[in-house]
Order: sequence, then C-alpha cells, then structure tokens
Amino acid sequence: MVGLAVVLGWFRPYETAGATAVATVLVVLLVRELVGRLMRRSNPQMAVAARRLGSVVVALIGGTLTLQALGASPDILLLVIGVLGATILIALREPLGNYGAKFFSEIYTPFKVGDSIRVQGFAGKVIEINAMSTILLSDDEQLISVPNVAMVRDVVVNTSPQAWREITIPVAVASAVDLPTFESELRKSLTKLRTRLDPRFPPFLTTKARSPQSTDVLLTVMLRRPEDRDAITLEVNQRVTEVLQRVRATRA
Amino acid sequence: MAPLSICINTQTPLVQFLDDPDRGRGLPHDGVDLTTLRDGVDYRYSPGGVTRMVYPLVRRLLEKGILDEAHWVALNPRAPATAHLGPMTLHHVALDPERMSGYAAVKEAIWGRVHEIDADDRNEQLFWSEAFAAYEYYNRSTAELIRRLDERHNFDTFYVHDFQQMPVGHMLGTLKPKVFRWHIPFDGAALPEEWRALFTTYLHAYDVLVVSAERYAVSLRALAPKAQVVRYYPYVDPADYTRPDPAAVAGVARRLGISGRADVALVVGRMDPIKGQDLAIRAFAELASDYPRLELVLVGNGSFSGSRAGLGLSKSARWRSHLEGLVRAADLSDRVRFTGHLPQSDLDALYERCRFTLLPSVREGFGLVAVESWLHGKPAIITNRAGISELVHDGENGLLFDPDDSASLPRAMRRLLDGRSGPLRRRLARNGLATSQECSVEAAERAERALLAPPAEA
Repeated sequence: MVGLAVVLGWFRPYETAGATAVATVLVVLLVRELVGRLMRRSNPQMAVAARRLGSVVVALIGGTLTLQALGASPDILLLVIGVLGATILIALREPLGNYGAKFFSEIYTPFKVGDSIRVQGFAGKVIEINAMSTILLSDDEQLISVPNVAMVRDVVVNTSPQAWREITIPVAVASAVDLPTFESELRKSLTKLRTRLDPRFPPFLTTKARSPQSTDVLLTVMLRRPEDRDAITLEVNQRVTEVLQRVRATRA
Repeated sequence: MAPLSICINTQTPLVQFLDDPDRGRGLPHDGVDLTTLRDGVDYRYSPGGVTRMVYPLVRRLLEKGILDEAHWVALNPRAPATAHLGPMTLHHVALDPERMSGYAAVKEAIWGRVHEIDADDRNEQLFWSEAFAAYEYYNRSTAELIRRLDERHNFDTFYVHDFQQMPVGHMLGTLKPKVFRWHIPFDGAALPEEWRALFTTYLHAYDVLVVSAERYAVSLRALAPKAQVVRYYPYVDPADYTRPDPAAVAGVARRLGISGRADVALVVGRMDPIKGQDLAIRAFAELASDYPRLELVLVGNGSFSGSRAGLGLSKSARWRSHLEGLVRAADLSDRVRFTGHLPQSDLDALYERCRFTLLPSVREGFGLVAVESWLHGKPAIITNRAGISELVHDGENGLLFDPDDSASLPRAMRRLLDGRSGPLRRRLARNGLATSQECSVEAAERAERALLAPPAEA
C-alpha cells in the first residue's frame, strides 16, 4: 500500500487519496477473508472479533496514508493516534480489563447465567454477566459483584450439577443469514457427532440478543464423556463456521 | 385496564382455503379480507378445538374491548400469507413438502407417545433425526414470524397452543408473558427418558402452562417443577348452539338415510384410532339384534393433519376404511352411517335427532363433544380416559365406561335404550346441561383474562 501511495504520489493529491482509499477497502476485504479462513476452527465469536480487529488496523493505516496523500503530516497523525490510544488505555485500564475479561470468559469460561459457581471464596448463582462484573446471588440472598478479570485470573468452580457436560458457544448470526435455515443445517451437521453427545439432549439454540445487524444466540451441546470436551468444542466451532458460510452463500 | 394486543399461535389454522381449479381461480392474494369470500366455498373453518374454543374466546375479548387487536399465527401451507377477519389478522406459515413431511413425522411420533399408542424404539433417536431438524425449522420459522410481528405490534402476551408448538416459547427469546396450553392428554411417564430433558427446557420457557384436567396438571408439574401449571377446562360458546327447527332436523336425517323411527347413537370425532369409533361399532353390533331401531351415526373426517390442505397424513382414510370393514363384517351397513365432515347446521340437527351421544375415545385430552351433547340436551356416554370424565358423576350427569372392558360400553348403552330409560335420560341431560356451564366461554373468560393480561395488571 505504501508503494502504491509513492507511485500515485506523482499524480495529483485528490486522485492519489481516492486510489489509496479504494485500495484500503480492497485490502480490508482481503484481510477479513484471510482471517476468516485462518480461524475456521476457532470460536465463531473470536473469529468475528479477529476479523474486525484486522479490518480496523488496515483501515487506520489506509486512512493515515489517504490523509498523507492530501498533504497532512503522517508523523503528526500517528502521534495523535498514539497519544489518544495511550490516554484511553490508561484512563480506562480497569473497565477495559473487565470488558476484555468478559469477552474471553464468555467464550472460554465454562459457566453462564443460571449456573452456580464459586470464585475468590464467594459462591452463588450467576444472575448477570455485564461488561464490568459478574453478579452472583448467594444462598442468603446477598448480591455479590465479582470483577470479570477475576474470572480469567482466578480459579472458578462451576458447582452446577452436570456442568461438565455442557458446552455453550456464542454465535452471532448476521441478519443476512436465515436463522431457521442456519439452525436446521447446524442441527443436521451436529447429528454426525451424536455418538459423542448426550443422547438425551440434542443441540439447541437460545436467543440472547437481537440487533438490526445480527441475532446473538447461544449454542448448547451436551457431552457424553468429559474427556471429549476440547475436541468437541473445536469440532463444533468448525461446523458452526462452515454452516454459517454455507447458509450465507446459499442465500446470496 | 388498557386494551391488550395478543399473538396466538396454533398449528391448525382457523380457516382452510378451498382451492377449486374447476372455477378457474387460485388462492386469494395476500392480505385477503375473509368477509369478501364465501364460507364453505372459498374457505372453511378448521374442524376441532381451535375453531370451537380459541376463536370464540378471541372474538368475545375483541367485542368487549379487552383486546384491541389479535394476531393469529398458524401453519397453513395452502393459504395466502395473511388474511383479515374483522379486527383479527391471520398469519400463515408455509413449509416446503420435504420439511412438511419431516415435521409431520416428528409431530406424529410425539403424539403417538403421549397417547401411549406408539412405543416405537426408534423414537428414542428422534431428536437426532433429519425430521427433527424440520420440526425445529418449522417452530423457529414460526417464532421468527411472531418476533417480526411483535416488533410492529408490541404484543402484551403470546398464547401458544398445543404440543406441536412447544419449542416456540423458548425460541421467541422474549421476557414478555408467554402462556402455553397443552390440549392433548399428558402423562409424563409415557415419555421416553431421552425426551424428558428437552421437553422440560421447552416447557420452562413459558410463564404459565395450562392443561385440561387435574391429572395432566399433576403429571406436568412432575416434569417441569419450576413451571406454573394451572388447570382450566376447555370451553365453547353456548350461543353457538341453537336448537334447529324440526323440519331441518327431518331434512338432514332423510338426506343421511336415517329412518324416521330410528334410535340414533351419535359419535362425533375425527377419524382416528384414538377416537375409539371401533369400540362404538363393536358395542353397536352386540346390541343390534336386541334393539332393531338402533342406528349408529359417525360424524367426522380427518383433522388438519389429515387434510390435503394440511399435513396430508393418510391415517384418517385408513382408519375409516378399517371401520367400514368392521361394519361390513357385522352385516350392519344399512344401520351405520359415515357422514364425513358436516357443516355446523347439519351437526346441530343430528344432535337434536339423536337419542344419546357416545365419546368412545381410548385417549382424549378433554372431550368437548360431550359438552356439545349437553348443550343440545342429550345424555352422553363418556370414556373414563377423557379429561372431561373428572367432571362426570356416573348416573348423574353422564354415564362412564372403561374402554379396556369390552362389556362396559354396551352395558352403558343398554341403560339408555331400555324402555324405562326415560327418567335417567332426562336426568343426565338436565344435569349435563348444568355441568356444561363449567365449560362455557363465560366461565373461562375470567381465567383467560388473568392469563393474558400483563402480570402487573392481572
């Protein structure tokens, strides 16, 4: 992209800036596709986040080059972005840490709202997981707020019966994807794993949130044997991604 | 209380559209106004509880201003996407034939297990079949349609009816009140172990579960201990049951070939093995020589599931053929009539014409036809397997029989055929009419309003 900007620098600034912007969009699309392919076996939510992060980084670089083509000093732009970023990180260190911890705990920590857990000497039923903390309701009806960072730093014990069986995977189903078709196709795909899953509990989706862009659902599968947890999680993630892509392509 | 907006969900649609290619026209377009079409020509009301029970309630609540709008979502593959009936809008879900077939297979498997007539071991793997994916697809499509409607109409309550629609509450993903009415019998012990966890999850998604008899409530509470389970008897609107004039009664009897002096035993119900029409025919055959004026009339066709416009299942045709074989074998073809589906006016005439009615089901969620019999002033012989049997005191407001005891039904019929049965018949009819008030829409209205109103205002 830098080379392209130099070559185009011979032309007038507006044409150069326009071409850089177009190139940036193309590279963003390319990065999204590449990251998506590389993370096929990862959690779908992680893959979405990685695609988004890659796109933002490329867009920032492309935006800087575009502004440079229009005559702005890149050094000053980079300095402004750096200072702003550092300020935000320092000012919001705690909340961002909790938010980040929530993101990771949502994906990798084996508990959800409704489960009973024990963490940092506290025990209770999880009644809320917000951006900052996880709220527990203790047996004596006290509300306990545990910062989300504790959920990734400390030992968390899920004391719900049969908790080891349950794997929950958050999935964002874009509004371009037909949810009934996605669910139906996913169910068919996961049927291939039925000998590894609890026969009493077929996979099912729970709707968590809706927005004009997507429907956030939680996929729950129940294991037959605890030692399969890691392998099944990977396999289910891969199948979710495949089915999402297939259904999206069919609809397109 | 501010008027409510509700969304009703049933599998069976309120109306089925009659597409007659000979008239050179197809189905009406989307958004059709039913009042511009002809009942019985362009469309007909679906037979069964949906039309008899849910529709009168909604109509009544709309008329009283308790509801200001009602939207009704149902499976109806051969219908326009929407139709209007006064202030009520009907929304229809379509399914492609392959998914329809899968959906129907799962629905029938669940139905068979719950009615304890199908203990197929393969059912334990049902939830892992492609058919189950189709079943869930239908329910998810329904839930998504309801959700889109909710975005526009901001419903106060969702009222979901019957076991086919059980996943809808879970799939809606809303905190608004959700009421689920389980219409068929419920015996948790009949469910395979492999089904119980998912059933429990789906049932717990509702705020209230409504069943038709106390015995079902006890069983449902055991399966879904966190759910609020209530028992409300099904109901009809007595105003819909008018006494036909004698000329009309004679005309219908003549048209159906019923002789003038016949003592008619009437069975009303869809053609289905669980409806026990075979028991009625066997009992009739046992009594035929002792009571030469006795004739048996069997009214009913298939349900929505058996109709061409519905799921297209053929079990009703097979069952009728089996019953006709029984009649031929007993050499009673001239004394047993199969009328098929009848319009309400003809049915009213038959109730008026009969000596008594039979509800011979081997399993029956409730048995509203007994209430219809009472409303027409006719005594009813009722299976002890029907939900309504818990309202019946034998010899007071009805006669009970045990379908597992082959002598039980003929014995009960004799009690109403004997020459000195007049006082008994009159007492059963009089007390039955009084009991029918427990199953009237008036009685149900208060309970239903409490279910449908938002909790803060209930």
